[in-house]
Amino acid sequence: MAAELFFQDINVGDEIPMLVKKPVNKVQLVRYAGASGDFNPLHTDPEAGKAAGIGQIAHGMLIMGFVAEAVTNWVPKIYLRKFTVRFAGMTRPDDVITVTGRVTEKKQDSGSDIVKGELLAKNQKDETVIAGFFEAALPDKK
Amino acid sequence: MADKSMVNREFPPFTWEVERGKIRELVQAIGDKNPIYLKREEAVKAGYKDTPASPTFITVPMMWTNILIDVIKAVKINYAKVLHGEESYEYIQEIYPGDVLTGKIKVISIDEKSGKSGSMDLIRLETLYTNQRNEQVLKASTLLVERK
Repeated sequence: MAAELFFQDINVGDEIPMLVKKPVNKVQLVRYAGASGDFNPLHTDPEAGKAAGIGQIAHGMLIMGFVAEAVTNWVPKIYLRKFTVRFAGMTRPDDVITVTGRVTEKKQDSGSDIVKGELLAKNQKDETVIAGFFEAALPDKK
Repeated sequence: MADKSMVNREFPPFTWEVERGKIRELVQAIGDKNPIYLKREEAVKAGYKDTPASPTFITVPMMWTNILIDVIKAVKINYAKVLHGEESYEYIQEIYPGDVLTGKIKVISIDEKSGKSGSMDLIRLETLYTNQRNEQVLKASTLLVERK
């Protein structure tokens, strides 16, 4: 559970705690297919990946899930207002994904205390697989 | 080439009942151990009514209802060549087990783009979800990329 977080405690430039995920494995991809309902064989069948000319790749939405995990380990999910990602690269079995992020903007807007930040998911070769953005409405310290 | 006459097309609404087990399965596949998704008492302690849907949960109704596949067929793009370009969410209200969601999906734009790896079609979709009380809960925006 994330500790209570207040608008006043946050500064532009603050980094969200880095999240290093376990290597993506093939069982996880099968599990994610079943959980999400995305049965595109590209993600679970190496032969289908080969036929498509790109090889077996993870669901982009699984990696978005990793990024969401990193954000909501820091800002309680109940405060999250917007979450956007651009899928910039493919993730393959055995890749190790690391998620980082930092606060880029703070503003008080019509009674809401808004914090915005940028997010990055990279693989073990330091290649970006997701570039993202979040916005959260945080409570005021009384 | 995707069928540009489909721009502004709204598809018939689809519905999905949110189950606690499906919320849990998704976070377990991701490896997200946040207890608010797993235990009702932990969720309540943290200020939720029940175990909330995780931030990417809305992919579940999208995929399990097959609506995305229907849209891909309707805009006449090749599923085998489609990659996910972007995904964006605006959270309006929490989604809980027992909620019955209705999604309305619309084709916003279809554009052709040439890049270093050849030309591609970019298909932008937006989906608005409401719950059983007809309250808006989430807006999703999806960019699909069809490689040529």
